[in-house]
Amino acid sequence: MFEKSLWVFHLNSGSCNGCDIEILNIFAPKQDVERFGIKLVGSPRHADAIAFTGPVTRECLPKVIEAFKAVPEPKIVLAIGSCACGGGIWYDTYAVIGGVKELYKILKEEYGIEPPTTIYIPGCPPKPEAIIYGVAMARGLVKQKQKREIYIEELDEKTERDIVEILFGEAKETRHFVPNITVKTDGGEDE
Amino acid sequence: MGRFKLITKAINIGKVTEKYPFAPLEVPEGFRGKPVIDPEKCIGCTACSNACPPQALQVYDDLERGVRVVHLFVGRCIFCARCQDVCPTGAIKLTKEFELATLSEEDLHQFVELKMVRCEECGKPFDTFRHLLYSAKELQPWEREMMFLCPECRAKRISEQLISAKGGGGYV
Repeated sequence: MFEKSLWVFHLNSGSCNGCDIEILNIFAPKQDVERFGIKLVGSPRHADAIAFTGPVTRECLPKVIEAFKAVPEPKIVLAIGSCACGGGIWYDTYAVIGGVKELYKILKEEYGIEPPTTIYIPGCPPKPEAIIYGVAMARGLVKQKQKREIYIEELDEKTERDIVEILFGEAKETRHFVPNITVKTDGGEDE
Repeated sequence: MGRFKLITKAINIGKVTEKYPFAPLEVPEGFRGKPVIDPEKCIGCTACSNACPPQALQVYDDLERGVRVVHLFVGRCIFCARCQDVCPTGAIKLTKEFELATLSEEDLHQFVELKMVRCEECGKPFDTFRHLLYSAKELQPWEREMMFLCPECRAKRISEQLISAKGGGGYV
């Protein structure tokens, strides 16, 4: 996607600072992403990518939209953390929009902005290496590992019948409880 | 600290930068990474979805198809490992996998679909076969004859039996 240096604007939309600290970590000497040419910039107008954290609080929404508009095309969004990916633990509260997916809906309906290429990096917060992995994926250095998995249980009618027999078999042998009991009582009314 | 001292110290320490994306990284013991459901072990008991704080794990019934869907959305997971603690069969385990970055949100989902039992009387699906087999171990043999009834029909049948057992004041 982006073969040359990626300039990143860090956009916090009401995050708890956990992901922001991890973003600062990847610029520190131990996980040095400046070796890929990645650099934090102060203004969204200079940026190629947005390092997006937080679940987009209602108070933040107008500012987030302005910052989104200011980043020139083509742009790329790194949705860092569970909050940005799917709303996190606040996904259904009243004060929160709920992640980039809901933000894109608002952007498209209200402003007609098409959703940019997004890299989802889940984690609470993600390891610095996990962020590097996402960034390296944007640069085309590594391939995606995560895949959608669907498992469907397949049961024949025969195995279903076997299960029923297993469950009922012992019940028939040792039947203590007999339904439809009529109990005679002393002094009760007889019909 | 003089300049010479600084240079010698820097040379002694050497390189600290990891070679990460080009070399594999070992995570420490007890690291909580991506949760994975083992579909062979899962019984669909909904214990995990009750314990999950952000409801990344949701269990819902598809009544038309007669399946119970265990839906895990890793994008919302906070990696607290409560599902692992609470799972009665050990089907959910948190692996050491942390490279979860994806280009589309759809890749972050995992579905496990389990077949459900239909009620003998009303025909409504109410529980999975695996859950019935699992809970049958806990039941007495004579308690099992109402296992294929949904909770509503079971309550109805018990109350009918109580009504039919008239006058049994001492027993009822």
